[in-house]
Amino acid sequence: MRRNRRPGVSARVLALVALGCMLGATAACKSDAAEPGGNVTIRFDWWGNPDRAEVTEKAVSLFEQKNPTIKVDTSYAEFNAYFQKLVTQVAGGGAPDVFQMDYRYVREYADRNQLAPLDNGPAKVDTSNITPQLLSGGTVNGKLFGIPPTQNTQVFSYDFAQWQSSGATAPSEGWTWANMQAATQKISDSTGGKVRGVGDFGGIEDWFEVWLRQQGKAIYTPEGKLGYTAADVEKWWQMTDGWRRSGASTPAELTTKMDGSQANDPVAQKLASSGFGYDSGFTAKSWEILGREFKLSGFPSDSGKLGQYVKPAMMFSIAQSSTKKEAAAKLINFLINDPEAGKILGMSRGLPANAKVREQVGSTLTGPPQVAFQYEQTIQPKLEQAPPPPPKGAGTVKSTFQRIYDDVIFARLTIPQAAAKFIGEAQQAISS
Amino acid sequence: MTALRQRTRTRYGDRPGIAYLFLSPWMAGALLLTVGPMLASLYLSFTNYDLFTTPRWIGLANYRRLLLDDPRFLTAVWVTVKYVALSTPLKLVAALAVAMLLNRASRAQGFYRSAFYAPSLLGASVAVALVWRVIFDTNGIVDQSLSTLGIHTGGWVASPRYALLVIVALAVWQFGAPMVIFLAGLKQIPAELYDAAAVDGAGWWRTFRSVTLPMLSPVIFFNLVLETIHAFQAFTGAFVVSGGRGGPTDSTLFYTLYLYQKGFTEYRMGYASAMAWLLVIAIAAITALLFRTARMWVFYAGEDGR
Repeated sequence: MRRNRRPGVSARVLALVALGCMLGATAACKSDAAEPGGNVTIRFDWWGNPDRAEVTEKAVSLFEQKNPTIKVDTSYAEFNAYFQKLVTQVAGGGAPDVFQMDYRYVREYADRNQLAPLDNGPAKVDTSNITPQLLSGGTVNGKLFGIPPTQNTQVFSYDFAQWQSSGATAPSEGWTWANMQAATQKISDSTGGKVRGVGDFGGIEDWFEVWLRQQGKAIYTPEGKLGYTAADVEKWWQMTDGWRRSGASTPAELTTKMDGSQANDPVAQKLASSGFGYDSGFTAKSWEILGREFKLSGFPSDSGKLGQYVKPAMMFSIAQSSTKKEAAAKLINFLINDPEAGKILGMSRGLPANAKVREQVGSTLTGPPQVAFQYEQTIQPKLEQAPPPPPKGAGTVKSTFQRIYDDVIFARLTIPQAAAKFIGEAQQAISS
Repeated sequence: MTALRQRTRTRYGDRPGIAYLFLSPWMAGALLLTVGPMLASLYLSFTNYDLFTTPRWIGLANYRRLLLDDPRFLTAVWVTVKYVALSTPLKLVAALAVAMLLNRASRAQGFYRSAFYAPSLLGASVAVALVWRVIFDTNGIVDQSLSTLGIHTGGWVASPRYALLVIVALAVWQFGAPMVIFLAGLKQIPAELYDAAAVDGAGWWRTFRSVTLPMLSPVIFFNLVLETIHAFQAFTGAFVVSGGRGGPTDSTLFYTLYLYQKGFTEYRMGYASAMAWLLVIAIAAITALLFRTARMWVFYAGEDGR
């Protein structure tokens, strides 16, 4: 009897051992233990396009050369996909050590204690050469959680050859929204609608914000409430939807696909000849990708107030959960302060925030980055300081704005209905 | 005697350890990867959980808001119901039609069977959904072909009217799995029934209605249940074709896509969990309903009085 039971017992033991191995194996896979020889591997994630990836990889390998004990694993994705992935990783406790952070989300992540402070402690980074006004964009409750490597600002870009051949008046100092409408209409008319004057921008909250600021309003109040009413939204959409109806801007089927990617941008597809954007979007290969050259201008305005501001194009942050904060801080320090890194990265993330690097980069630029650099230098005196980071839920408000604009351009809702619906959903998004 | 009895008992019944050992890989998987997460999500559905901070208990508030105060939820339900009602019958008809064609003995049968099954293997992948999106996009093959015929639809993907149909078409095209099951079912139908029908002078339609359909009804039922459940859970096609947004104008906002948006772009995991549980309940109810109706039309050979 005893002998007979033994296989059972050992089977149970075996099962336990097997289970233990399984668990042990997974634990070992996830372990953060330092590798032999004091080497560490850190993970660095960012959003961007292949163009930016190429120079980032180059800069990172230079960093690895200079710091042979640190290995950097990088990965990147397009903006929306990037943040969906990031939130999953953060929630699962597997955040990258260093990652690109957006102005729109920095408060959200910092409030939830996911970011390591960068002004003191193990993750301290040297920020002595960074414009202080920019650092305020990454400061939440008096602590620095994101360091902007670069700054950018809103821009209007247009295919000047096309504008000239269509007889459209090019933007100039003090041009108005009515000027812009006339010019874009002219382009659509002269091409028989094949190329529209402008990609319909009515659903993009960023450009609506500039328009609001021109009237002395803001997208969010300092308390984190909406800084505008349904009437403002109505007025904006009346204007942009009018342009669509008259043919000055792109038809609904094209507009609805605009998701920030080049593949779905009517300007990149040569179906529109101008659009709003950020000047950091102009990288070394932009003219090749767009298939023609562009000129840059400030926004049109009816009030004489430009409404644009210096924006931290993005930030670098370190995960609070990271066990290699020193190495992570070293990487950020290198990327923002090292002159050689600055040379490699150029304008790939926008105008460098480090004054010394900016000076050096400016003298070596050619092509689209140089155009962007000059634009930013010219417009700088008119730019205002960035508003404080937006409240929690701001990302949802932005996507809601675009979604409900689709209801306008497909004529599913009247403009007043759509505006009321938007305000309702936006308030819900930021209240809870 | 007792020793013998003991030995037999121990050999067969007294060693559950061995059975559990062999079951353990599956049980570990089921517990860790299915039951555990399901229970966790049931708990989360009663909380406010933003992925970063500790879940906060809020009782039934998520469910109340979903059912009473979320117009997009109703949109998502309506889109999903439309999708299920369109895609499931179309897919089953396509599967049955092709299965019947393939059921005729033919030398190339093996080849065709694989060829028709292939889309089901590929279809769930992101790559195929991307290709689909390109085909039906503005200036894609479909748009251009229709335009040469003088029909200007302007691309289906970006049209609130047609976008859902693109995803339905993608689903119908993946009829391989039910087709293989139908094919097996067709082979089970005794040949003498067809012989008898032929002797009685029944035409093709009559034979189909009076022999094939009733004999195949258990298989049809099986496929119907499976495909309905599948259709309710459809996600990849909608996600890829609409770029994750469910647009234009929420015309492809599948239930699962809205759930995903709530959970992973708005960080409302509690809310998303509540949505998941409502879906589970809805699918269970609809499956139960299908089983009820089955009594009226499913014929099991060998049973009396049916």
